[in-house]
Amino acid sequence: MSAFIGAGLVLAVPSKGRLQENANAFFGRAGLTVTQGRGARDYRGALAGVEGVEVAFLSASEIVKNLASGAAHLGVTGEDLVREAQAESRVTLLTPLGFGHANVVVAVPQAWIDVRTMADLEDVASAFRARRGERMRVATKYVNTTRAFFRQKGVTDYHIVESLGATEGAPAAGQAELIVDITSTGATLEANGLKILDDGVILRSQANLVASLGAGWTPQWREVARKILSRIVAEGEARATRELIATLPREPEGFDARLSAFGARLSRRAAEGRITLFAPRAEAPALADWLIGQGAEDVIVRQSDYVFTARNPLYELLIASLPEAVKA
Amino acid sequence: MGAGQDQGGEAFLQKLEAAGYLPCDPAILQPANVFLDLSGEDMRGRLLLASDGAADYCLRPEFTIPVSLAYLASPQAGGPAAFSCHGPVFRQRPALAPEFLQAGLENFGRDDREAADAEILALALEAASESFGDSSKPRRDSGDWRIRVGDAGLLTALLEKLELPPVWLRRIRGGLAKGQKLDVIFQPARDEAADHSGVLAALDGADKAGARALVEDLLKIAGISALGGRTSGEIADRFLEQAELRSGAGLDGAKRALLAAFFAVEGHPDEASARLRRVFATAGLDLASEMDCFDQRLNFLAARGIDLDAIHFSAGFARNLDYYTGFVFEAVEAGAPESAPVVAGGRYDRLLSTLGARSAIPAVGAAIWIERLNPLPGMSQREREQ
Repeated sequence: MSAFIGAGLVLAVPSKGRLQENANAFFGRAGLTVTQGRGARDYRGALAGVEGVEVAFLSASEIVKNLASGAAHLGVTGEDLVREAQAESRVTLLTPLGFGHANVVVAVPQAWIDVRTMADLEDVASAFRARRGERMRVATKYVNTTRAFFRQKGVTDYHIVESLGATEGAPAAGQAELIVDITSTGATLEANGLKILDDGVILRSQANLVASLGAGWTPQWREVARKILSRIVAEGEARATRELIATLPREPEGFDARLSAFGARLSRRAAEGRITLFAPRAEAPALADWLIGQGAEDVIVRQSDYVFTARNPLYELLIASLPEAVKA
Repeated sequence: MGAGQDQGGEAFLQKLEAAGYLPCDPAILQPANVFLDLSGEDMRGRLLLASDGAADYCLRPEFTIPVSLAYLASPQAGGPAAFSCHGPVFRQRPALAPEFLQAGLENFGRDDREAADAEILALALEAASESFGDSSKPRRDSGDWRIRVGDAGLLTALLEKLELPPVWLRRIRGGLAKGQKLDVIFQPARDEAADHSGVLAALDGADKAGARALVEDLLKIAGISALGGRTSGEIADRFLEQAELRSGAGLDGAKRALLAAFFAVEGHPDEASARLRRVFATAGLDLASEMDCFDQRLNFLAARGIDLDAIHFSAGFARNLDYYTGFVFEAVEAGAPESAPVVAGGRYDRLLSTLGARSAIPAVGAAIWIERLNPLPGMSQREREQ
């Protein structure tokens, strides 16, 4: 994978499934269309709109590995996989992306009607061992996540059985007593006769834009990253905010205080009381209503494609996270 | 690893050999199964595993199990024998090299347990001071150590005498292993949302057969057939136990007070002994033979030149009750009382049976964490504790 380095800033995106569709849609909204190369080398692509980006199409877990090793600069992957790879110190989660929602949960057979919490599980696990001389088995592919969570909850009498697929079937197949697995609705677990413990949600995960801390962040690649991130920020800002245009006969009393109560800011004050405001999307109708009440004839509420501002919080986060050594 | 530490290893093995401990050099590559089966998941996660396609191996993570296996395979098996070892052991440790030096001493098959207990602790401290200590510093004696001791055997004997129901035994043992305070152990947390108070109240005082029938009916009504490795009887039994736990039956006020008084005992071992005898006498419990062993061990420790003033006994210091069966100890350098133990060990009379011995074989041992004794400059306390 290190062969990627040097050809461009490496952006690792999911190579298949819903995650790929969602990731492409996310970049597309920001005006950054992911284009896939044709032919044998179609695991590489480019990002239309920003020069110098090499897109690598990889599985979500490969993306974490590449970010952790520094073979990719930026990538889209689940927080669950970052945690499981114990890569938290080698990457930074720049921003959650609002898709790929899934919870990593502890699930036990529904028949265990006496078990509803991790404390119950701890007790059952030690009784199980006392009775049988064997430890209870937990099927999972989230080995490190499970160990950390069970340690935190004080559950010690168990062994992990590594499961690479169809984990939810392991208890019925007699391969394990319980599981730790990912679920979005819980329906699959229920269909397999399993229930989630009340305090058994280990992690509420979603896809994140993730930056590698160990990749070569030369000034050139930092500038490419800045461009990508500023588009993403501008699109996000545009989606979250509304532009309001109104003409007020006179400035209302305590105008500034009212605006900040709406979370709005004055962007422009033109002649004849014409003002332009930015407000959070959810507050826009109430603010418009209030402006009418203050004597505005009409209020135009608009959504912009992008709202570029001088501040780029994602880029600032990236730069703040990078160790000095990789900035050379 | 520096040449100095290797020399330390030579000196250690020679010293121990003179004391009757045969140098033992178990293979670095060990069959993984025994470690995987015996270790909790936490230790499993730290093993360095390898496979040749036919069998799974791990690099030895410690010396006790390999030396015990070597002893069981030797002609001395079952009889008295003692071994010492020194060399690298291997564990995955975040931000630290997986290979580090340890020295170990194990003493098997001796029925004079208290003498063997004292011998192991004394030799381990002497060796840690003489063989691995900083040679530029003056020789240390036991007063340069802060020694913490406990007695897992005494605690087990007390719990047996109290005839506690299994659910309370599990709570106490598990709570001690986690370092929980006694009031936390005595007061099971009640999560209202997860409370089965109705069912538990209905079951309180119910007989086992009735509870089983009820649970079986409940499961049948819900259409649940897969029990995931437990029986409906086990589920019913646990319901009964929970009802018992809630009602506080099985651990009445007198027993609580006794346990609280027991766990409050700590300090100088001679004073602790006197207090323990008073606690047991007040409760009308006969633990005289256990206490005689306790005192005898102190006499042996003093006779081995250990300053009893350097020893801090704590009734709640039982280390791992699954593994240790009697005397337990750990020692830190007096100058660094907050750091991780340099010497740690205890009596583990059950392990050899678990490993396949036909009869019970007494065993006591200690490990010396050499890197904690000679920390690299700038090494943080956290790193030393890994």
